[in-house]
Amino acid sequence: MSNRKTRYFVAVMGAILAVGLGTGLVASYMGLPVSVFSSAAGPEELQYVPADAAVVAYANVREVMSSQFRQRFKDIEPSQDEKNEFEEKTGLNLEQDVDSIVAAVMPKDGMAQNPAGSFLILARARYQASRLEALAIEHGGQVSEYNGKRLIAVHDDDANDPTPDEMAFGFLEADLVGFGSIETVKAAIDARASNRNIVSNNDMMKLVNEIDNANAWAVGKFDAIASKVGLPTEIASAMPAISWFSAAGHVNGGISGSFKAEAKDEATAKNLRDIMGGFLAMAKMQAANKPGMQQLAESLVISGEGNTVALAFSIPSEVLDVLESLAKGRQPQLQQ
Amino acid sequence: MTGDATPLPAFRRMSYFDAARRVFDLSLGEMLWSRRTIFMGLIVGGPVLLALIVKVIESFGMSALRVNGQRMAGFSIFGVIIWALFLRFIVPVLGVFYGTALMADEVEDKTITYLFTRPVPRGAVLVGKYLAYLACTFLVVLPSVMIVYFLLVPLSQVPATFGKLLIDLGLLALGLAVYGGVFSFVGSFFKRPLVIGLIFAFGWEQVVLLIPGSLKQFTIAFYMQGLVPHAMPSEGVTSILQGLFQQNPPAWVCLAWLFAFLGGFLYLATRVVEKKEYILEQ
Repeated sequence: MSNRKTRYFVAVMGAILAVGLGTGLVASYMGLPVSVFSSAAGPEELQYVPADAAVVAYANVREVMSSQFRQRFKDIEPSQDEKNEFEEKTGLNLEQDVDSIVAAVMPKDGMAQNPAGSFLILARARYQASRLEALAIEHGGQVSEYNGKRLIAVHDDDANDPTPDEMAFGFLEADLVGFGSIETVKAAIDARASNRNIVSNNDMMKLVNEIDNANAWAVGKFDAIASKVGLPTEIASAMPAISWFSAAGHVNGGISGSFKAEAKDEATAKNLRDIMGGFLAMAKMQAANKPGMQQLAESLVISGEGNTVALAFSIPSEVLDVLESLAKGRQPQLQQ
Repeated sequence: MTGDATPLPAFRRMSYFDAARRVFDLSLGEMLWSRRTIFMGLIVGGPVLLALIVKVIESFGMSALRVNGQRMAGFSIFGVIIWALFLRFIVPVLGVFYGTALMADEVEDKTITYLFTRPVPRGAVLVGKYLAYLACTFLVVLPSVMIVYFLLVPLSQVPATFGKLLIDLGLLALGLAVYGGVFSFVGSFFKRPLVIGLIFAFGWEQVVLLIPGSLKQFTIAFYMQGLVPHAMPSEGVTSILQGLFQQNPPAWVCLAWLFAFLGGFLYLATRVVEKKEYILEQ
C-alpha cells in the first residue's frame, strides 16, 4: 500500500475487527462472568443464592403491598386480629417492615417427597433480632454460629417424614434473614463468602438481565426441576421440551407481565406458539361481548422467534374495575 | 555512418494478477481518501451513534426500546439494526455508489485513456478496482458492525450470540461483494449508471419483494434475506407486506445464487471493459 495514512487506517480497522473477534471467541469458548465490565443485574440478595439454583424468584414486597391493586384485595386478607397476634410475637409488621423476598430452589433427588430441603428464602426486612431469637429458643430452637453468622435451627419432628430436614434461619445481614434447611442456609453463607453464587451463572443471569420494570419475577431451568421432581412417565413425556423459562410481572394500579420460555428446538417452540395461539383465539371468541374479559383477552400477545415462546399481557386498572363490578354484581345472586 | 540500430526495449506486458494488484494498490488509497468515503463514514457512523445512545439510556437503568411493553434485549436491537440499516440500506447504497463509480469515474474524469494505454490487461483494471472497493467497504462496515454489537450486547450474552454475529459479518461481506459486482457491470456498461443503480436497489428490489410471485427471484435482497439469522422486524407497512410474502429458500440455494450473481456480473463487467470502446465527451 503506497500511502502511510492508508496503512495506518487499514491497521486500526483491522485491529478493531481482530479485538472484537478475539473477545467473542474467548467469551464463547471460555466464558466470561457477568460481573466483567458491568455490574450484576438483579437484587443484591442474589449473592447469597448458591450457583446450582435451578429457580430464582424475587418479589418487591413493599411495592406490591403499597400498590393500588393490593388495596382491592384487602377484604380477603387475614383478619386484623391474626395480624396483630403475629406482630406481637415476632415484632414484624408484614405490611410495613418487609422490603423484598428472594426464593431459590436447589434441585436434589427426592425433592418431591421432601421439598423443604431444597428451598432457600431470603427476606429483607426490619427485624427485631433478639425477639425473633427468643421466640425460636422458646419453641426448642438451637443457636449456633457458622462462618460468623448466627443460625437458629429447629428440628422437624414430623413423624410422617422419614428423612426430616433440620430447618433453620440465620441473620445473613442485620436486615436479611435466610430461611430453609440448615444445609441450604449454610450454602447461602458459603455462596456469599466464596463468591461462587448465582451471579456467576451466566445462563441464569442472562435471563435476570432481560427482566425490566418488574416488581415480581422468576427465572429457572425447567428441565433441571422436572427431572428431580419425579413426575410420572406419562406426564413427563407429555410435557413440552422446555429448557429455560422466565416470568415477570409489574403490579401497580393494574397488572402487566410476561412469560418467556426457551424450548429445546425450533420445532417445539413453533408447536408451543401454535397451541398458545389456538387457546388465545378461543379465549377471544369466548370473551366477545363481555366487556372486561374482552379487554383482558385483547391484551394477551404471543411472540417469539427461533427457540423462544413469549406471552405478554397487560390488565389496566379500568379492566379490573369492570371485573370487580361484575363480581360484585354476581355476589348477591350467588348468596341467594 | 553505419551502426547497429539498438532496438527499443519492448514493454513487458504484466500478468493479469500483477496488473490487478498494482491497480488495487493505487485505487485503495484513492478510494479511502475520497469524498465518497466521508459519505460512507457518515452512513456507517449512524448505527454506531444509535447503539451508543441505546447504551447510554440503558446505563441509566431505562430501556431504550420496548415491544408490547416488554424490554427489547440488546441482541434483538442489534438484529433490527442489521436488518433495517445495514442490509436494507447501507450495503445496497455502498454497492451502488462505489460499484457504479469503478469505471464511470475514470470515464467522467477522462483519465481512462491513461489506464488503457498502460501495458496491463483491461479486465485487470476493473478487477483491481473491484478488490480495492471490497477492501475499502469491508474496512469501514465490518468494524462498525463489531462496535455496534459490543455496545448493544452484554458480555454475558456473547457466548450465545457470537455465532450469529459471525454469520452477520459474513453475510454483509457477501452482500457488499455481490452488490459491488452487479453495479460494477452497470457502471461499465451503462451511460448513467448511478441513476440505474439507485432505481434497481431502491425501486425494483423494494417493490418486487412486496409482490407475491416469482419475480422476487430476480433480486439480490431476496437471497440475502434468506440467510439473515435474525427475525424480520415487523414495523411499518412495507415490512409487514414483505414479511407476508417472504419465502425463504434453503441457505444453499441462496448462497449458490448469490455466488452466481457475483461471478456472473463480475465476468460480464470485465468483458465489457475489455471490449467496449469508451468515447470521452469533449
